[in-house]
Amino acid sequence: MFEHLYETLYEYKEYVVFAGLVVLSLIFIALNDSVQVKRIRSVSAVAFGLVQQGANIIPEYLGLHAENEILRRTNIDLADEAQRLREAKLENFRLHELLKIKEQSVYPLIAAKVVSKNLTLFRNTLTLNVGSDDGIKEQMCVIGDGGLIGIVTITGTHYCIANLLLNTDFRVSCKVQRSRVDGITSWDGSALLLKNVVKTRDVKPGDIVMTSGYSNLYPPDIRVGIVSSVQDQPSALFKTIVLEPGIDFVKLEEVFVLQFVQNNERRTLEDAAVQRFGK
Amino acid sequence: MSNRTHYISSAAVALLLLVVQTVFIPFFAVGGYMPDILLIWLVYIAVRRGQIEATLSGFAVGLLQDIIATRFFGLAALAKTVAAFCAGYFFNDNMIEQTLGSYRYVMIVAITSFIHDFILFAIFFQGAEGSVLFLTFKSSFAATIYTSLFCIFPMFIFSRKYRTSWVQ
Repeated sequence: MFEHLYETLYEYKEYVVFAGLVVLSLIFIALNDSVQVKRIRSVSAVAFGLVQQGANIIPEYLGLHAENEILRRTNIDLADEAQRLREAKLENFRLHELLKIKEQSVYPLIAAKVVSKNLTLFRNTLTLNVGSDDGIKEQMCVIGDGGLIGIVTITGTHYCIANLLLNTDFRVSCKVQRSRVDGITSWDGSALLLKNVVKTRDVKPGDIVMTSGYSNLYPPDIRVGIVSSVQDQPSALFKTIVLEPGIDFVKLEEVFVLQFVQNNERRTLEDAAVQRFGK
Repeated sequence: MSNRTHYISSAAVALLLLVVQTVFIPFFAVGGYMPDILLIWLVYIAVRRGQIEATLSGFAVGLLQDIIATRFFGLAALAKTVAAFCAGYFFNDNMIEQTLGSYRYVMIVAITSFIHDFILFAIFFQGAEGSVLFLTFKSSFAATIYTSLFCIFPMFIFSRKYRTSWVQ
């Protein structure tokens, strides 16, 4: 009987071995929490830990690539954030300067952002992100921390366009702050000039030029610029006075629109006078 | 080679591969999946020496892997025993070199690897969140593909060594 059993087992030895090993494996799985197994595992873990520690000197090239990718992305994000913070700091500085104007101004002001500008043409303009919905009307003047910038000429519901000082269509009645000499400021396509100042009047380089208030469009005492040069040409009746604008138009980003409303009674009178006596 | 020398050299190779599998192969991990070079070796044993030796080797190697690994003790032993036993069915004394040096070796590794990984993950994922069957299949396929691709290298080596065409 045993002989027969032995023969049978030998004949199916592969299955016997397999079954035995599977059972043994299952027993091991069942004995997972046994002290003996834990001890063997702790000893081997220490031994292999030492080997693995030694192998750690091999750089993980695949891991490094992924890590590099993450670091590069983080770097881009941080650079972007730094850039935005720098912008915010500069904007804060500019707005702080503008706030001084708002505090000093006797007229209501509407803050606006410059969304577009051109400075290379004869008729240079500025597009602002405020329009009639914000209370903007045509012929309201635009000012900045350095003084007069221009005048609103076209108004949409959410945007408006202003003619700059640097526009050949632009005229503003001005006076020299020190000597109270009057003149008309305009741009000839290359320089900002104070015109109609006779040779006998006292104007010097460095004098500040302000709006006179004679015009019904501009309130008085808004700074326009500083006299940079004064020339007396022998054949001319008037001085050639070149002004340096108070505004750096290239860096212009935030402005105020002055809610200066024309005096209708004055306008009606002036229009009637023009019609009656001519210009 | 005497039986004793043969067993000693087999044990040495197994230990060496175990160290490589544990220490170096993790560097090649993709998405957490690694090729199983011990399994590739077990298939080699099965094709070369037959079912019993492969089954015993599978059990021994799996047990050693269990000692090192932190998962269920006996799990790798069970998976490798079953896988090696299945690989043993492909043993053919007259076709050893043709099998090892051709795509058949990769195919056997793929079949064996799937059986091995399926057992391993089916038990390993017990109690995990989500569908255990889905996780098991997904992980088994991924691991099988990686191991099979890795097996192409030894196949080419055997193909050159035995001067066989790997597409025959």
